[in-house]
Amino acid sequence: MLRIQNLSKTYPGGTQALKNVSFEVNDGEFLVVIGLSGSGKSTLLRCINRLIDPTEGKVYWDNVDVTAAPPTELRQIRRRIGMVFQQFNLVKRSSVMTNVLSGRLGYVNPWMSLIGLWPQDEKKRALQALGRVGIADKAGERADALSGGQQQRVGIARALMQDPKLILADEPVASLDPVLSHSILQYLEQLNKEGITVICSLHFLDLVHRYATRVVALKDGVKVFEGSAQEIDRAKFKEIYGEEAQEVRAASM
Amino acid sequence: MPTARIIRNTLLMALVVAAFAVSFNVTEADFPRLFRDLPKGKDLILAFLTPDVATREMDTRTISIAFPIPCGSAPNENVIPSEGPRLVPSVDCTDPLTKFTLEGFDLAPNSELVIRWKLPDERLMTAIRTRTDSEGYFTSEVEARPIIATKNGVASRLEVDTLTPVGGLKPSQALLDVLDAMFETIFMALLSTTIATIIAAPLSFLAASNITKRGVIGTSVYYIMRFIFNVMRAYDPLSMALIFAFWLSFGPFPGAMALTVVTIASLGKLFSEAVENIDKGSLEALQATGANPLQTVRYGVVPQVIPDFISYIVYHWDINVRISTIIGFVGGGGIGYYLNLSINDFKWHQAGTAIWAIVIVVWAMDFLSAEVRKRLT
Repeated sequence: MLRIQNLSKTYPGGTQALKNVSFEVNDGEFLVVIGLSGSGKSTLLRCINRLIDPTEGKVYWDNVDVTAAPPTELRQIRRRIGMVFQQFNLVKRSSVMTNVLSGRLGYVNPWMSLIGLWPQDEKKRALQALGRVGIADKAGERADALSGGQQQRVGIARALMQDPKLILADEPVASLDPVLSHSILQYLEQLNKEGITVICSLHFLDLVHRYATRVVALKDGVKVFEGSAQEIDRAKFKEIYGEEAQEVRAASM
Repeated sequence: MPTARIIRNTLLMALVVAAFAVSFNVTEADFPRLFRDLPKGKDLILAFLTPDVATREMDTRTISIAFPIPCGSAPNENVIPSEGPRLVPSVDCTDPLTKFTLEGFDLAPNSELVIRWKLPDERLMTAIRTRTDSEGYFTSEVEARPIIATKNGVASRLEVDTLTPVGGLKPSQALLDVLDAMFETIFMALLSTTIATIIAAPLSFLAASNITKRGVIGTSVYYIMRFIFNVMRAYDPLSMALIFAFWLSFGPFPGAMALTVVTIASLGKLFSEAVENIDKGSLEALQATGANPLQTVRYGVVPQVIPDFISYIVYHWDINVRISTIIGFVGGGGIGYYLNLSINDFKWHQAGTAIWAIVIVVWAMDFLSAEVRKRLT
């Protein structure tokens, strides 16, 4: 279980990205975080695995204080938290295989990995992960030779290599053609059904309805809503996205 | 106020004109001299344009006759054949300080001739260089100088070498020396670039803000590395070469060391900028997997910067070939040293060979490094 307590983040420039945010995520949930660009969704997700250090507040994961973990322990924690990014964040010049294998860096012998040696079973695991997202045949290609949708699937395969208990997905479909959104989210949904907790930030409300078991909404760094997707009516929608907002639908299924 | 502006602009103009006047004065600029003194430079330029690159292998044939000076000082035993290669002097003997005509028949046609005296004590004195005509004939006026006089009853001999080119051209000694020196220069540049890369590559990561600038220790390491690179860059290659020349005396090694130091600073700075310009996203992703900092650099940074690094390395090798030419002038060995020597010895054709070699190699390196960099994207 993930417990977020009074989390605040103020950037060195003075921007307050998160203001006293608290909520809990139970194991096995598919929690979707919504809100306008700049509402603090990315900062929130990055505070969970401390890619960004929060200014105040606590993050507990299975009763371990993530916010207080020293570097070595933090790396142990991060091993079990996969992350998928809006811009895929692959190493473009490296092969798909190397990108997927790098998800395993927290587990393997650091010195062997530094000289680029990977055990045979890790390579097999990487091919299986690629197979799960349907692109095992692309293993040898350079990451930037793949289409956007394929690159995001490599991103998911990399997260799978971590044998994650939790996956943080930061706008995983925002850089993709809307018609590809479901193809990516279905993989996350599948993993969620296998028991992996998913915390995912999304833009399109119809995607939220389709995938979320629960929703948290942020506005200017403040949590303005927590509940099921069905509870977001017209009034709530205006409250979260502002008066001028209008609902846009992603490609229908 | 327009008046103030006019005054200011006039003053500025006056300053600019004054600056130009001073620079003319200081450089003793006299452009007409460029044309007035052109004849002086002509020979030099011609010599540079005709580099010494090839010689022909020569077949040398020598025929000789005894020639008593003065007459009767030695017996005249010459039997001049009536055909075949032969020398025919207009007189059989003569007194010192007189002139006579020497003719040659049926020698190798169109060949270079060296006419010389072989003195009784076996010393050789070259007298005249000339050529045979298409019939193999030559004629030349020879002076009987007193030094050639018969000694102890042994007459001096007149010898004629016929030099016939055989086979094709072969590289001249100057060309071989230039190639040797060029080889030295290229590998001097390669060695210094390699050593500099080995040292600069790891250090550059420490001087990259996105890698090191974190916490008190990291930030101080970052600023110290930056400072070291900047100080090292302040010394230009020539002064660095002079320092090393005092330290290690002359030769290619101090030259290469000077180049190494300069290259470390330059590559370190360029490398660290390449590291700073990488895509941060993939670093973030690797950190999120639980990779340690070294693994993050190995898998996130290295693949991204390798093309930049290679391109900078090749570019610096190219630059170092040029610089080591100049360093050679202050005793750093290689082609620059050779060029300096040939100029000091007034061997303009050799200097021309060296200059052509430099031009060709610099052009080739430039082309090569451009090609390599083009392919690395």
